[in-house]
Amino acid sequence: MATETVVHTALTLTDQLPALQIVVPFVAAPLIVLLGGRRWAWPIAFAASLASLVIAALLLASVLDGSIISYHMGGWAPPVGIEYRVDAANAFVLLLVSAISTVVLPYARTSIAREVSERHHALFYTAYLLCFSGLMGVAITGDAFNVFVFLEISSLSTYVLIAQGAERDRRALTASYDYLIMGTIGATFFVIGIGFLYMATGTLNLADLADRIADKGDSRTIRAAFAFIVVGIGLKVAMYPVHRWLPNAYTYAPSAITAFLAATATKVAVYVLLRFVFSVFQPAFIFEVHTLEFIILPFALVAMFACSFVAVFQSDFKMMLAFSSVAQIGYILLGISFLNETGVTAAVIHLFNHGITKAALFMAVGAYVYSAGGSFYDTMQGLGRRMPLTSAAVVIAGLSLIGVPGTAGFISKWVLVQGALEKGWWPVAILIVGSSLLAVIYIWRVIEVLYLQPTPEDSRVREVPMSMLVPIWIMTLACIWFGLNTDMTMSAAQAAARGLLAGSAGMMGQ
Amino acid sequence: MDNRTPDNADTYPALGRAFLWLDRPGGAKAVRYTLFILCALLIVADFVFYKKGYLPIEEFPIFYALFGFFSCAALLICSVVMRVILERPRDYYAPTDGALEPSPQEQAAKVDHHA
Amino acid sequence: MLDALPTAFLFFLAALILPILPRGPLRSLLVLIVPVVAGLAVYALPMGNLVQAEFFGFTLDLMRVDPLSRVFALLFCIAAFLGGLFAWHLRDTVQQVAMLLYVGAAIGAVFAGDLVTLFFYWEGTAISSVFLIWARRSEASYFSGMRYLTIQIGSGVMLLAGIILHYSATGSIAFDAMTLDSPASWLIFIAFGIKAAFILLNNWMIDAYPSATVTGTVILSAFTTKLAIYALARGFAGTELLIYIGAATAVYPLIWAQLENDLRRVVAYALNLQQGFMFVGIGIGTELALNGAIAHAFVGVLYGMLLFMTLGAVMYRTGTSRATDLGGIYKTMPLTALFCLVGAASISAFPLFAGFVSKSLIISAAAKGSHYVVWGCLLLASAGGFLVCGLKVPFFAFFSKDGSLRPREAPGHMLLVMGLTAVLCVLAGTNPTALYALLPYDVSYQPYSTGHIITQLQLLLFSALAFALLLPTRLYPRPNPTVNLDFDWVYRRLLLGAIGLLAIPVRGFFRALDRFKAGPLKALIRTLYNTYGPMARTSQFWPTGAMVLWIAILLGVTLLVSYAS
Repeated sequence: MATETVVHTALTLTDQLPALQIVVPFVAAPLIVLLGGRRWAWPIAFAASLASLVIAALLLASVLDGSIISYHMGGWAPPVGIEYRVDAANAFVLLLVSAISTVVLPYARTSIAREVSERHHALFYTAYLLCFSGLMGVAITGDAFNVFVFLEISSLSTYVLIAQGAERDRRALTASYDYLIMGTIGATFFVIGIGFLYMATGTLNLADLADRIADKGDSRTIRAAFAFIVVGIGLKVAMYPVHRWLPNAYTYAPSAITAFLAATATKVAVYVLLRFVFSVFQPAFIFEVHTLEFIILPFALVAMFACSFVAVFQSDFKMMLAFSSVAQIGYILLGISFLNETGVTAAVIHLFNHGITKAALFMAVGAYVYSAGGSFYDTMQGLGRRMPLTSAAVVIAGLSLIGVPGTAGFISKWVLVQGALEKGWWPVAILIVGSSLLAVIYIWRVIEVLYLQPTPEDSRVREVPMSMLVPIWIMTLACIWFGLNTDMTMSAAQAAARGLLAGSAGMMGQ
Repeated sequence: MDNRTPDNADTYPALGRAFLWLDRPGGAKAVRYTLFILCALLIVADFVFYKKGYLPIEEFPIFYALFGFFSCAALLICSVVMRVILERPRDYYAPTDGALEPSPQEQAAKVDHHA
Repeated sequence: MLDALPTAFLFFLAALILPILPRGPLRSLLVLIVPVVAGLAVYALPMGNLVQAEFFGFTLDLMRVDPLSRVFALLFCIAAFLGGLFAWHLRDTVQQVAMLLYVGAAIGAVFAGDLVTLFFYWEGTAISSVFLIWARRSEASYFSGMRYLTIQIGSGVMLLAGIILHYSATGSIAFDAMTLDSPASWLIFIAFGIKAAFILLNNWMIDAYPSATVTGTVILSAFTTKLAIYALARGFAGTELLIYIGAATAVYPLIWAQLENDLRRVVAYALNLQQGFMFVGIGIGTELALNGAIAHAFVGVLYGMLLFMTLGAVMYRTGTSRATDLGGIYKTMPLTALFCLVGAASISAFPLFAGFVSKSLIISAAAKGSHYVVWGCLLLASAGGFLVCGLKVPFFAFFSKDGSLRPREAPGHMLLVMGLTAVLCVLAGTNPTALYALLPYDVSYQPYSTGHIITQLQLLLFSALAFALLLPTRLYPRPNPTVNLDFDWVYRRLLLGAIGLLAIPVRGFFRALDRFKAGPLKALIRTLYNTYGPMARTSQFWPTGAMVLWIAILLGVTLLVSYAS
């Protein structure tokens, strides 16, 4: 372990922030069950989420200058003890996850009340908090095996949450089952990869791993570890062609869960991928460059087009967005595969911008489900006049998904195109623009359904209540805000990219 | 607003009835002769009163009368000639051009002119 | 108290409040009260640059009060009051709001001490006023409004271009007297000229005024062109070119006005002709001439509104303003007929009526400057204008042949406002010193001399004689229900035709595109649908085994790549 990192002597509450980040939601989850009341389930979940958000904001503020917080769990120094490390990259992810959760929860209260029967509510919010703390844990921990544990915590609770959609559509069970199989295989691969790493280096601390890999250099074991970890996490990321669990899971999960997962779960997985590919393994390894160039890059491009085409032809708004998510993950992976600072910046910033955009859109889907009883295009006909606020949000967030200037989506695609041009890969740049045109088509289809088709005469659809509208619009306005004001997102993403690309050096702080 | 009340002069406003002589035979003639007389008086006046002018041509006797009469006559005749060149059917620019709005005689359905 | 608030904002404020008020007389009252308050405020304003604002590093003068801007602001307040009273019956929120915004923008433009502010209000008048045309809610008025808007915005864009050039050349945005010596001042000059309806730039006026609503026309006639007169007087007083433009503008509409059937268009032509007089006055640029131009603008608003009001009342009652459809309605609308005659006498400059005291100022100034040809043109325009507006309009609207029309007399508020305007016209004509006192320059001028009265009466009555003698013959161009080609043919037909030529290759391109759409593109979409559509493999549920197989394949490939490299 690098000695120049400030050893963390936890004396005040502020110093305990990294632990509190996880402990608060983690303790709140069983609290709901213990109190047993449905009445207290939501307030507790919300309070925990809000507290996490505040902590995450404080953490990000303190690492934005490029410094690193290293927190030793239980006072055991790494590499023996478990270490929580906060730097710009994961503080950013922590903030995203907790912010999305805090915005989604008020929405979930109304939406879930209609979609999930009341007797399940207490357990539902417990599972939600577990999933949430799992995701936060994955992001914050500095220990490879700990990553696996938190990943499993979040995955297992995710399977439960997705299965809650069964009350509306029994296919949620199949979707959940499929995800369970795939997720388990992915986790297994991941843990196998970590096993290989342990075999090769004898440590599990990420920073330490990075150091030793850098020292030891390339070996067959490390190569095998790399392949297993990339594929294992690739599954969680929903990398094409092992993405197939995602559309079903997103489509049949309860709306609030879809919004939360779409904005956070895959994003956290992407973070893990970044962490391993760039920090743990040396980006200079030739096998890594080749893997990125010959596997990630082509599959990312295929995802951008194939899934966009599928989205174009969908007749279910939610399913369409789910496939669009896979396509958008393609952009993120594309940015990673550029292996330059601009590309990774684009990946990180798109991770954030796509998160808020999709959160807004999936919440809007939930609004249609809430009011009109479904998200198929024929149930949504002409609802632009009946649900003007929701539909306006769909239009704006849709523009952000396309990447229209003035919206958040534009910023990330712009940086991505720049990254491609920096590499001299102008055909890739053209493909990025081309697949954005497909987004124009599938978003236009929604707008056409909402605004250009007549409202059925007997339609009694009303605008959804404020508790749903406000979260939708917070996310929608965020799409515009981060499209116009890029200081915060850009500087954080650049700091994160710089730290990541520095390889093991980036793990030691400056 | 009914444009077709039975034409009874007693229903006209008092001021309107006072002008009715204009419509009677000879009414228009009376107006015209009054005009002739006024014109004649003005010619006489031109020689009686002093008029101050800035331009030499204004000194010419009854210059303004001549100018008024001949320029207007020329203008009218010129217009008649020009019309041959300029006149077009009223749907020339567009089938719904302003000139095509139905006249009160043509329109059966009432349109809202109060707007 | 009102010193700190630009007068224009009073109107904008009222436009904001108006939609909140209940529909009905309360709104009409608001439209009526605001000009009174504004007028009183303007009257009491001290001279100087009263309100300034910072805007992108420019210091904007929102309230430059001097004698020139004050007289126009007062005039606009009076016109707004008269227009508001005429529109008392109106229950159309769009028109009422547009009216307030329009008046506010016009007054704001008059008080603008710098070119940037001027530009904003300049565009403001264009955008707000077009709603008075569109409020007619007919297809014809829609297209007419579009043409109007295009031309007005065009004027604004030229103004902006001029301002930018002017600023980059001089570093100043002050709106002061300019000379035509740079592209900047030329652009600004032409921008002003479009709004002022220079010859060949005038067709928007003829096109738009009669297309507006009954009340809209009355309002429109008072502001846009007079605002441009103000701008010309401020920026280009003494520009010799204006004299010739003015003379040409004064003569040009005569023939078209003779041929025109729609009497509201005839009045628009006649008002256009009066603009020519004002250009001449501004172009001569002496204090006498400038006073004449401003006085003429002042009374021009009054009689222009009066004429449009009387024809508006006729239209309100009968639904038409076409000479061929009207006639003989003096019997049932005698007061309206009388007011129309007052307006006709005023525009024709009959002694004792408003036009006389202002027109003579300009003609005298032209004669004093020995502008022979110009003087002749103005005389011709006077005689011809009388022929058109003094004789043709009242004759064909109210007398002429007796049709079957027996409309009721105009509504009370219209009679009231027409009477009021008529009285103002007569007052201005009989009491010229009061009018002259409002003008920015001190000039002693006596319009009423025996000689002048006699010559003016000769000119007018002998014109009437020509009318009377030719009317029964075929030498008089009786109105026909037709369209007469004017200069707007160039852009409504010629330019359109040219664009049509341009369209041929474009059409060819789209034909080819259509063929492509029908053939290869359709096939492509079908293929895509078969591959990616809801029924296709990619979007169907995959069996779990297939998914796992893919994982295995991916892992294998990744391992292979890792090991091979």
